[in-house]
Amino acid sequence: MTRLARTALVLVGLGAAGALIAASALAQGPVKIGASLSLTGTYAALGQNQQRGYQLCAKHVNEKGGVLGRKIEFVFYDDQSQPATGVRLYERLITQDKVDLVMGPYSSAITEAVANVNEKYKMPMVAPMASTTAIFKKGRKYIYMVQSPAEVYLEGLIDVAAKKGLKTVAIINEDTLFPKATVQGTIELAKKKGLQVVFVEGYPKGHTDFSAILTKVRAANPDVLGAATYFDDAVAITRQMKELNVSPKMYGVTVGGDLPTFYQLLGRHAEFVYGATQWEPELPYPGAKEFVVSYSLEFPGRDLSYHSAGGYAGCQILVEAIRRAGSLDGEKIRDAILKLDFKTVYGGFNVDQDGFQVSHKMVTFQWQEGKKVIVWPDELAAGKALFPTPPWSQR
Amino acid sequence: MNVVITPAMVGQVVVSGLLAGALYSMVALGLALIFGVMRVINVAHGTLLTMGAYTTFWWFRLLGVNPYLSLLVSMPVMFVVGIGLQRAMVRRVVNAPELSSLLLTFGISIALVNGLQLAFTSDLRTVEFLTGAFVVGGVALSKSRLVAFGFALVITLGAYWFLQATRFGKAIRATSQSPMVAMVCGVNVERVHLYTFGIASALAAAGGSLVAIMFAIQPEMGQVYTFKSFLVIVLGGAGNYPGALLGGMLLGLIEQLSSLFLTTQLSEAVAYVLLVLVLLVRPTGLLGGRAT
Amino acid sequence: MRGLVVAGLAVALVLLVLYPMVASGYEIRFMLQLFMWVALAQSWNLISGLTGYVSFGHVAFFGTGAYATGILITTHGWHWAAASVAGGLAAAILALIIGYPCLRLKGPYFAIAMLGLNEVMRVLVSYFEGLTGGGMGLSLPTLYASVQIYYAMAIAALAVTGAAYLIVTSRFGLRLMTIREDEIAAAAMGIDTARHKLYAFLLSAFVPGVVGGLFARDQGYIEPIAVFPLAFTITMIVMALFGGKGTVWGPALGAATLFVLQELVWVRFLFLHQVLFGAIIILVVLFMPRGVLGVLQQRYRLPRYV
Repeated sequence: MTRLARTALVLVGLGAAGALIAASALAQGPVKIGASLSLTGTYAALGQNQQRGYQLCAKHVNEKGGVLGRKIEFVFYDDQSQPATGVRLYERLITQDKVDLVMGPYSSAITEAVANVNEKYKMPMVAPMASTTAIFKKGRKYIYMVQSPAEVYLEGLIDVAAKKGLKTVAIINEDTLFPKATVQGTIELAKKKGLQVVFVEGYPKGHTDFSAILTKVRAANPDVLGAATYFDDAVAITRQMKELNVSPKMYGVTVGGDLPTFYQLLGRHAEFVYGATQWEPELPYPGAKEFVVSYSLEFPGRDLSYHSAGGYAGCQILVEAIRRAGSLDGEKIRDAILKLDFKTVYGGFNVDQDGFQVSHKMVTFQWQEGKKVIVWPDELAAGKALFPTPPWSQR
Repeated sequence: MNVVITPAMVGQVVVSGLLAGALYSMVALGLALIFGVMRVINVAHGTLLTMGAYTTFWWFRLLGVNPYLSLLVSMPVMFVVGIGLQRAMVRRVVNAPELSSLLLTFGISIALVNGLQLAFTSDLRTVEFLTGAFVVGGVALSKSRLVAFGFALVITLGAYWFLQATRFGKAIRATSQSPMVAMVCGVNVERVHLYTFGIASALAAAGGSLVAIMFAIQPEMGQVYTFKSFLVIVLGGAGNYPGALLGGMLLGLIEQLSSLFLTTQLSEAVAYVLLVLVLLVRPTGLLGGRAT
Repeated sequence: MRGLVVAGLAVALVLLVLYPMVASGYEIRFMLQLFMWVALAQSWNLISGLTGYVSFGHVAFFGTGAYATGILITTHGWHWAAASVAGGLAAAILALIIGYPCLRLKGPYFAIAMLGLNEVMRVLVSYFEGLTGGGMGLSLPTLYASVQIYYAMAIAALAVTGAAYLIVTSRFGLRLMTIREDEIAAAAMGIDTARHKLYAFLLSAFVPGVVGGLFARDQGYIEPIAVFPLAFTITMIVMALFGGKGTVWGPALGAATLFVLQELVWVRFLFLHQVLFGAIIILVVLFMPRGVLGVLQQRYRLPRYV
């Protein structure tokens, strides 16, 4: 390299550095919001859905001029669906990347682990995808729940069953934090409604062959079968129910039954299946329609599920709280969040002093002719439940 | 809050167990071949199965032709892939301590699984072709599992015939009994290794194709089958090929019966506990191969 | 030369002691987890690197320690330090129970039996939910003790490295390596192979138990799938192998290098980093099976205690 070239290079470098310094002094940078999500590993599909919700929200907020006169910008990491990695990454986001605020990760288990980190730094965290009550009832002050708790996922199924005069219920579940909480809640609800719980059994995460457990369910012969699932198992159980000819009068799943792919994968076998969901695209919440349209434009061909809407809403909530607090100060934002009572694309948001959600409503739907028809609660219902579910040979 | 177990229920799970067992036997036979011939534990075996499953999925999705025909594609394709893996990588660790081969194949598996994830996303996929069941005397026989059982049986028996009756099959068996003697007798051991890996991959692929029609598939599904295959070959006797058939059926029955009589949760442990017990009593497996 | 090394180690030690006073929360947690991996890779090396018995389920001891510690803290109110030591003891007891029979198994059979042990432990922990919380996991009372746990992890990492040094330079270590090279010959030479293997196994199980306990305390929440993952076993093996198995400093070197690499490079590739991890494993096995220190040792005839 000639001397001239070297000098020129140094000058260019100096100039670039100077320009950078000048630029950062002139304009305040964007508000940085950190989040680590399960982009790979077991929760990958759902974590990616949530990430798209965050991304779309940032885009919309910025198109409308940002917040406090600044743009918002997400810093994403991948926790590989592992709580330990999540903990380290949130510590990194807060103390190393010095993000201004954080948003929650995917899944109850990872949120439970990560909640200790943001609590330590007194940084408020809206956690859209954690629905296990215990996380919010440990005296933490800086974590806020967006959706309805796991315990009420099957409330609609049980309520409809009770109204139809059914008597017995069986519950099967994946043996992890969130589905187990659903089971506990469902047993309580069933007792309250006068249904008898005749069979409960868990299966390990990643289980694929449900022959034996479904054989037991068939022998217990319940009127209602509730499955506290994630997605993969919801699909597998439904298919194998047909293969083993298990045909209760009502059958409902929790997570996964709401995804459009559930029907794509199962086709006619998904008919009559009940599902519980935090959100549906056609629910008349403010902004929901626009959200659905721009989601399909922004991410053509990708699943739209409540995880995306929840992520979007969580970010809406945070931005609204920043706006009301008028600053990025953790304490002020906390106060603002606790006072918030409004509707996002996801439904009601209002938390008690523990950060526990009290306003959001679950809905129960049934797959009818390839569409999810909301059948519960009555005030949101768009149709009637097709009852009872006919035997497999007549579907 | 449990149910009373009736003979009909036992009959049901025994049937389910045998149906699943034939598939395990076929997939595990591939692992047993590789282990027998090369003393390599192929942790990527399940991943090869996954690739077979995706072949069938895309075959059905893109062509809409009977998915069972995709075996004609997935098996040869994975045969070639297996030969490629053997030639490029596994060959180098054949005589190294078992740690090398364990880790190498694990590395291959991680890279492939995540490659699949990048290529096809981690979304669940199904092949909706043959669903439902025949009900015979209170026992439901899943159609897709019945067909898979038939295929697995035919393919496995075909592989045994190949090992027993053909010249190359004899070379494989000779190599797994003693590479040295085989080499002295004029067997091209290197070539035996190459084709063994190919055949094993094709068996895994056949398993994957059949699984794709029975269950939903996703990139990480394979590991379970790797583990099950371990269980099968150790129960049946590693390096002992008929042992894989016995081991597969046994594993299918153990899994189903233990989840019926105990819980589904515990059934996963039962097979492993049995494995350790078998190893302790007969360190070379139930049918006993040669000692290492 | 030796004096220089000792002086260097002393300086490093002082720096590590002072580190938490200047480091940010993330940096502390980063080092804490780095020490964790050093301790795990070193522990694995004690049994597998020295005797050649490949433990493919070493995370079972980690998980056992984590749960023992978690239960002692939540239901019996123990201090985390004491509970972690108890976690180590629990892991050692497990090692005693299964080591006695399983160490008779050879080669791949031992590896698969250890893999099975891990699966069994995970299932048992999930099953006995009255004690462990089962699939709901176990939530520990909130406590911010990153700095103390940092020191505890550092002590664990140093202790196991020190133990490795003592073992490798002792007759005991020589006997272990004799077993690795030729077990029948070792027995013929009058080495009580069963007892030696068992001692090495106990030692290599104790430390992961302690570290698992500290991990549980640091995380504040544990669940079966998070403390018994096969990926942990693989990671510690790859770390030990990368640095050089059967050496004193190799596992520590491997753990530090790979962990830093992961943090610096891999978080930038949100979707590609796992593929890279697989590629690294393949490259190490194919081209550097003796690890970094193994290569150096071969080339420069380094003393055994390196």
